[in-house]
Amino acid sequence: MKSLSKQDFLKFVNNLIADDFFEVHGVKAKGKRFVFAPLDSADELRLDYDVTILPPKKYFLPQYETLLKYDLSKSTVAVEREEKKRVIIGVHPYDLIALQQMDKVYFDTYVDNFYRQRRENTIIIGSDILTVSERSFAASMNAHTVSSGYDLMVTDIGDTIVIDIGTEKGRDLLEKHAPMVRDAQEKEIKKVEKLRESLPAKYKRSLKIEKESWKKLLEKSYEHPIWKELSEKCLQCSSCTMVCPTCYCFDVRDEVSLSTKEGTRIRTWDGCLLPDFTRIASGEIFRKEKIDRFRHRFYRKGVYIPERYNFVACVGCGRCSIACLPDIADPLSVMNGLVERKTEAGGEIVVEIPETKKEIEEVSYVPRSATIKRIEKLTEFEKLFEIELDDGKPFYYEPGQFVEVSILGVGEAPISISSPPTGGSSFELVVRRVGNVTNKLHELKVNDKIGIRGPFGRGFDAKALEGRNLIFVAGGIGMVPMRSLISFILNDSNRDRYGMITILYGSKTPQEVLFRNEIEEWKKKKEVTVKLTVDKCPDGVCWNGCIGLVTSLFPQVRWRDVENTVAIVIGPPIMYKFVIKCLHTMGVKDENIYVSLERRMKCGIGKCGHCQINGVYVCKEGPVFNYSEIKDLPEAFE
Amino acid sequence: MNKPRVAFFDFASCEGCELQIANLEEEILDLIEIVEVVSFREVMKEHSDDYDIAFVEGSIMRPMDEERLKRIRSNAKILVAFGACATIGGVNKIRNQWQPEEVLRDVYGDVDLKGNKFFDVFKTKAVDEVVKVDYYIYGCPPPRDEIKKVITALVMGKKPEIPNYPVCVECKKNENVCLFELGKFCLGPITRAGCNAICPSNGRACDGCRGILSEPDTKCVEDILKRYNLTYDELKHRFTIFNYRREEER
Repeated sequence: MKSLSKQDFLKFVNNLIADDFFEVHGVKAKGKRFVFAPLDSADELRLDYDVTILPPKKYFLPQYETLLKYDLSKSTVAVEREEKKRVIIGVHPYDLIALQQMDKVYFDTYVDNFYRQRRENTIIIGSDILTVSERSFAASMNAHTVSSGYDLMVTDIGDTIVIDIGTEKGRDLLEKHAPMVRDAQEKEIKKVEKLRESLPAKYKRSLKIEKESWKKLLEKSYEHPIWKELSEKCLQCSSCTMVCPTCYCFDVRDEVSLSTKEGTRIRTWDGCLLPDFTRIASGEIFRKEKIDRFRHRFYRKGVYIPERYNFVACVGCGRCSIACLPDIADPLSVMNGLVERKTEAGGEIVVEIPETKKEIEEVSYVPRSATIKRIEKLTEFEKLFEIELDDGKPFYYEPGQFVEVSILGVGEAPISISSPPTGGSSFELVVRRVGNVTNKLHELKVNDKIGIRGPFGRGFDAKALEGRNLIFVAGGIGMVPMRSLISFILNDSNRDRYGMITILYGSKTPQEVLFRNEIEEWKKKKEVTVKLTVDKCPDGVCWNGCIGLVTSLFPQVRWRDVENTVAIVIGPPIMYKFVIKCLHTMGVKDENIYVSLERRMKCGIGKCGHCQINGVYVCKEGPVFNYSEIKDLPEAFE
Repeated sequence: MNKPRVAFFDFASCEGCELQIANLEEEILDLIEIVEVVSFREVMKEHSDDYDIAFVEGSIMRPMDEERLKRIRSNAKILVAFGACATIGGVNKIRNQWQPEEVLRDVYGDVDLKGNKFFDVFKTKAVDEVVKVDYYIYGCPPPRDEIKKVITALVMGKKPEIPNYPVCVECKKNENVCLFELGKFCLGPITRAGCNAICPSNGRACDGCRGILSEPDTKCVEDILKRYNLTYDELKHRFTIFNYRREEER
């Protein structure tokens, strides 16, 4: 431990400010509240603050962050990287813990290099809490003191500032800018210890349940009346998530200059309380009711994140309860409410995160340049695009995986790959015209450029299906990803490794049936049965298949060796429960059913938060799931 | 690429929304690079009825307005309601508290206005109460950035993305001290964002000029008023300024 007299500490801060090598930010007053902001002088620094309006996460995941800059006329893309070095002074322990949590998320599997760069470029000087915020319960979360997560930690004990060195970076900074620093005396260190020990008693509010037990309690309270009671008062303003140091969801959008020549791709904070959070291009909203969104926030904190990362995503800073006008966002009140009203608990939920890839990969938000090689109009709404990557490198993927298709100036959209893996650098996408990106894609011509990120997600394990009889059930554009797997399996070099194949395919009308010619070819293969149906057939349209929902085809299926049959089901959300019921009736077991689900997969790498089914990321653990993995998740099927 | 032909029209309004276009200043040069402005009474003499996109400012007050608006609708491929008076009726709807005859008598006294089409008024309507509106540019006045965003989107053949979340989201990102904490009643929590919370960021409570997203639950409103020691009258006053329609429907 080191120490500086108060005067010398102010000198140290002023020396930092005078150094052009970095920007110095610290806690300053803003009216009666406090904010992290650039310091013009050490006098502005307020180590006696209670809590800042926004947490320091704004320095690592800024409110608005430019990911890419591009020139639309030349289709050139540049990555926007902030090289700025920063020192941030006065970060409280709970915020340091929140930042360490954020590291887990942003360094997990896919390393977000924007976040990492900002982290590496920042020196953090923590500060012990001198004034406890009225709404904080950090002591109950054991987040009132901390022993890591800082480069330097300062404790104001009156006329002296005691400094703990956390890292080499911190040591260098102190040596260079505070040559007058001395070893802390025993009594000074004692004072720091006493200050820390006295903190818990200063908190007026305390939890009636250990944070380690939140998960267990919440797992038994999914249908507790508290969710309805509180959510009815929710304004859906998402202020609670905006000010939260542990919320990290973001949206991405493209902005174009008035000349329509230059553009930027920007990411900005998003909040799960907002109705549009789960909305996809076709208009579907997956977390429809206020109660669903309200509850999601608490389950994310107390169940989903703990399941995935082993920590509770709350540090008890109290910012959400200050920001929430009707005062319903406070985790302490909610958790204590659940404890006090345990008898009203109901609705069990078990969230297990399916195992997926573990290797760490640095991820870029820059799409790979690709060229449209061929366009085929399949129906009034769907076109097939053959895409070739311009770098010519082979494009490896599994059937069922998806890519993010990027059109500069418009945005990105997740699209399933529709062709079987070939190991070449080209692949096929079948795209329905539903939103801005897909509309624009439909306007493009052969040789036009698009961007591709991916492949993302977990596809089908074709190897695991070997030796099994397979029944494919597709509804509408569910046939698009399914075609990738069917074509792979029916390929002459693979066909013998699979058993009997049955394909049931339902469309709205005969005009909307995809891949009609290919389906005829499939029918000719050995032991392949294909049955088609349409919801309705308009007058004057020729149709010799069935009329009715896809489930009406089940009586026609010749089941042989049900034990050894695997079902693959892909269709609109409404279809699953009916089809799965039919499969159950026939004796197909849960673990022999695979589904592929659609959600708002914005980033594709398990960061932005939009595609979650309860705690499961569809972009990462899906879109292909074994039914048994997710059947008990309340948000999986309608 | 053929430049879309664009026309600006105004009904009952202060014409301040159109002024926002004039206020683009040197950027107007970029604007006329991407669109051809064929009618814009505030800044040019020329006029043509041959246009693709019509921007309509102002509220609809009279049968003659209705006729004119329907003509514009039939000429335009895309019609954009432009500004608070056009999108939600705005301040013009304050007068819907009274019957049109009462308002006329109050303003013009006992003059006989019968048969004068200019004074033949009905209750104030927003543009979409008369014709189909394709896109909305909200605000009093609309932010210039949003105007640019909508125009570029239309030129590029995109659907403009207008925020469907409240001002609080932008206000929090700007790290403002919440106005409720300062004892002010602010409509930010329920008003459509897109203005970058310009009023709250400058210490002024949101008046809801971009329209209300959803009505808060009554119990919730009571709790908020109590927590911040505010009165129902303050709430009602704020609502009336731009969102009288909502009051009326209640």
